[in-house]
Amino acid sequence: MSVLETYRAPQSLDEAAGILREGNVTVLAGGTDVMPQSRIGKLKLQPVLMSLRRVPELRGICEEGGTVRLGALVTISELLESALVRERLNVLWQACDHFASDQIRNAATVGGNLCNASPAGDTLVPLLALDARAVLVSKPNGKLQERRVPLAEFFTGPGRTVRTGAELLAAAEVPLPPRESVGGFYKHGTRPGLDISAIAIAFVARREGKALRDVRVAFGAVAPTPIRAPRAEAALEGRAPDEPALEAAASAALGEIRPISDLRASDWYRRELVRNMLKRVIDHACRM
Amino acid sequence: MSETLIGKRIPKLDAPDKASGKTRYIHDLEVPGALHAKILRSAQVHARIVSIDTSAAKALAGVHAVITAADVPWQRPIGVAKDHLPLKTDRVRSLRDEVAAVAADSEEIAETALRLIRVQYEPLPVVATPDQALAPGAPLIHPEPHGADSSPHLKSAGAPVAFAGKPDNIAMTFEYAQGDVAKGEAESDFVVEDVFKLHYVTHCCMGISGVIAEFDPNGNLLLYSNTQVPFLHKREFAELLGIDPARIRIIQPPIGGGFGSKLDIYPFEPIVIFLAKITRRPVKMVFTREEEFLASPTRQPVLLKLRSGCRKDGALTFRTVETVHDNGAYTSWGATTPFVMMQTISSLYRVPHCQYLTRAVYTNNPYAGSFRGYGNLQATFAVEAHMDKLAEAVGMDGLAFRLKNAQDPGEVTPQGMHFKSCGFKDCLATAAARSEFLRKQAENRARWKDPNPVKRGVGIASMLHVGGGAKIYPSDGCGTILKIDDFAHVTLMTGASEIGQGSETVLSQLVCEELGLPLSAVTVVNNDTDITPWDVGVHASRTTFIAGNSAIGAAKKAKAKILAAAAAKAGVPENELSLQSGYIVRSGKEKLFELGKFLRGLHFSDRAELVMTTFYYEPPSKHQDKGFKGDVSAAYAWATQVCEIEVDTQTGIVRLLKVTGAHDVGRVLNRLGIEGQIEGGIVMGQGYALTEDLMVEGGVVKNPNFRDYKLVTAPEIPEMDVSFIETLDGEGPQGAKGVGEAPAICIAAAVANAIYNATGTRITALPFTPENVYRALHGAAKAPAWSAAA
Repeated sequence: MSVLETYRAPQSLDEAAGILREGNVTVLAGGTDVMPQSRIGKLKLQPVLMSLRRVPELRGICEEGGTVRLGALVTISELLESALVRERLNVLWQACDHFASDQIRNAATVGGNLCNASPAGDTLVPLLALDARAVLVSKPNGKLQERRVPLAEFFTGPGRTVRTGAELLAAAEVPLPPRESVGGFYKHGTRPGLDISAIAIAFVARREGKALRDVRVAFGAVAPTPIRAPRAEAALEGRAPDEPALEAAASAALGEIRPISDLRASDWYRRELVRNMLKRVIDHACRM
Repeated sequence: MSETLIGKRIPKLDAPDKASGKTRYIHDLEVPGALHAKILRSAQVHARIVSIDTSAAKALAGVHAVITAADVPWQRPIGVAKDHLPLKTDRVRSLRDEVAAVAADSEEIAETALRLIRVQYEPLPVVATPDQALAPGAPLIHPEPHGADSSPHLKSAGAPVAFAGKPDNIAMTFEYAQGDVAKGEAESDFVVEDVFKLHYVTHCCMGISGVIAEFDPNGNLLLYSNTQVPFLHKREFAELLGIDPARIRIIQPPIGGGFGSKLDIYPFEPIVIFLAKITRRPVKMVFTREEEFLASPTRQPVLLKLRSGCRKDGALTFRTVETVHDNGAYTSWGATTPFVMMQTISSLYRVPHCQYLTRAVYTNNPYAGSFRGYGNLQATFAVEAHMDKLAEAVGMDGLAFRLKNAQDPGEVTPQGMHFKSCGFKDCLATAAARSEFLRKQAENRARWKDPNPVKRGVGIASMLHVGGGAKIYPSDGCGTILKIDDFAHVTLMTGASEIGQGSETVLSQLVCEELGLPLSAVTVVNNDTDITPWDVGVHASRTTFIAGNSAIGAAKKAKAKILAAAAAKAGVPENELSLQSGYIVRSGKEKLFELGKFLRGLHFSDRAELVMTTFYYEPPSKHQDKGFKGDVSAAYAWATQVCEIEVDTQTGIVRLLKVTGAHDVGRVLNRLGIEGQIEGGIVMGQGYALTEDLMVEGGVVKNPNFRDYKLVTAPEIPEMDVSFIETLDGEGPQGAKGVGEAPAICIAAAVANAIYNATGTRITALPFTPENVYRALHGAAKAPAWSAAA
């Protein structure tokens, strides 16, 4: 059993980064992953538990110069309530609408969801498809530093990211997609809510006449991390979303995923779902 | 006339407490000075226990006792076949097996102590399926001898299985026959045969299991227990401890769900009693949710082969059934579910020839207990699939085919069941009409080739279940003591336990109906064996029927006594008097006495006479004979349910959209209560059909939590349209029949038929989870096969 020694609740990003630098810290945001994981022994609590709840710099959703900044402490409920997210980042909004339960949505944060780095994490897949970046903050020598990592390079394995122990995820930055963008999200669980993805699909593209441009396809729960599917994207780029194009994308996707069998689904079934539902997600998104 | 309470919508008496969080369940009870118990369960699925070292655990501060089988050489086996010692002696047979137990000052200390116990195991080959258990040379699950007590008399002939062992892995068999199936088959124009596979599910009571045991200085045992069967369990606990049953008192705190799970005693209960006896302190144990999944009983998984036939005119000719039940490592009530299954096989529809053989087989899996419906979900699943298949073979619609073979009132079936009231045909006609079953069925079928990947389906299934108790013990009775005090307040002491089903409310209602009093005039006492009269427990949908008749009997006696005294006092003929709205009334209108005042007068008169009555109701049902023939229940309940679904053929997701049910309930007593019970039962049946799946692989439960064991959630609950068919049963209380189990029984069967109607694919294995359905629709499923070993 781990023994907590200190609880810290910094009131600024600077203070938080400083505490983190001292080491032996478990970072607590909404607690919806930290608490159950520490209870079952999956996560060993460090002597210092640092709550981020009072750090104002980590809050809020704003748009500036074509980039949307989602503070790490933004909850799933806040994303759902945001008109900006609903209208301009609709694929993320759809994912939030499939996220756990109301109670969990009120507590769970974007930053926590990203840092937990579950291959099935609900916001990860749409954020990947939206070309989001992780903003990492540290205070290596008395001064705050920032670095930005494209989400496609952020995840390194189940529960693992490129974030170092001295870094705090401050925000996710999303380039604002053009207004003529289309997008769709699909999560396969065995029930409408409170479920963990057996597979998840996010699709984003721009319509140029009938053709699709800047196609981005991301999958969850079919590989050790959420992934982009560049060959599926290429199969659709510049083409109208007709049956041959969709079929080509689905075939390409099957070469890019590496699903496993677990309690939720067999690898065979995951492949079948990716093939059937990628086509449906794109088809539905383009009909809207 | 007072207004009748029968058929009204009456909120459950315990609802305000439960809704406001005030109800004190067992985990809320604190007995001063109580220790907290934890159980060390096996780390192996099947193994010999080489050694157990408890010294480090015993040395931990705050630990009062650490016990193993060696500390309780006097322990006796529990369970239906007496094959289960609470603390395991020489071997463990499943992962739930109890190896040691700790009583400590706190749960945390007890848990720490568990981690200090060292157990050495020598693994044995795991018997993971009934097939493996029946294979020649299979390891025996209960080889002899393994008793803790080495005294020879315990291993003599006739000794319990736990001491004498079992020479094979067959826990229990049932055989039943009527007519001549060979003759039946020879007369058949159509014969169908299928193998059905029914899976593991568990009760998932929201209130987890728990017990508190306390001995007084005289050695009398007080148990706070969640049992559904206090009086019979009193005797079992006494046998286990070797004490006089009269020295055991059981108090039941409000129970957070039973559904059959609390029909047997489980090792944790005796173990807590052992700890209380050894420490001379009250000891409390409450499960964790994970423990509830691992160490509670399950519904019985069944492999069932059914062969059925009919003539060209649609008349059923025969049924041959063979089953293998996965019993798990020990025998509880699950092994006896074939008793109920055979009623459906033989008597739901008229079938002249039947043959039935079942075997419950020991494995190293979790063991099966009783669960709402008691085998009937499994039997109905198979029978109703064949009703559809045969109807199609004959070229009749499913409704006409069922109506042709359905039972009528007055029928005595070859198994000896006498359907004195029977609304089956009304149920069929009503559910089919209200759901527009035939029209929708034809439309859906016409869309099989339609390119839309999402298909609609409609399916019908019916059920027969005991509705007037079940005479499986020498008695099927229930006692009532009724006291009316000097303010006309009624205390109803009944043997019938409340486990959430609403019995307190319905019993109060029946008593008030007799006495012309409002519901607020009644207090129900139903949870203390030192006070309440005897009853055989909450099971077989019997409480409203049996306890209801008992309560009415006591109330009638009280009424007679009051009216006789009033007649004497007023000098009027007794037969002109009645009780209405709190008054003694003459000729239905003239208020003679206010009841409270009159009763006070009785209390304070020279010849004081208190109004206290007792009644014992024993239903006129019969024990079945050795061939399982006889009229086992005083009444039988019927229901038809039509399920409408949507199947996404590209994902395998099946959504239950609407259930149209018609239930022969005898008579509606509490409309709100019966609606709740039926709606809840439908959802439980929905879980069995579509979402719930206790995944057991190699004896290991893979999903002991609500994240991965999927109960139906609110948005999945279908629209429901429930009609009540009131057949006014002559023996029932106010004409009512038992209905507790009925609504859960046919959902899976109806959904299976609906999937066929939607897609043309018949799936004979449950559950209909998305991957299972997808595999079946795309030819990637392994259809259940009847194995050679079986």
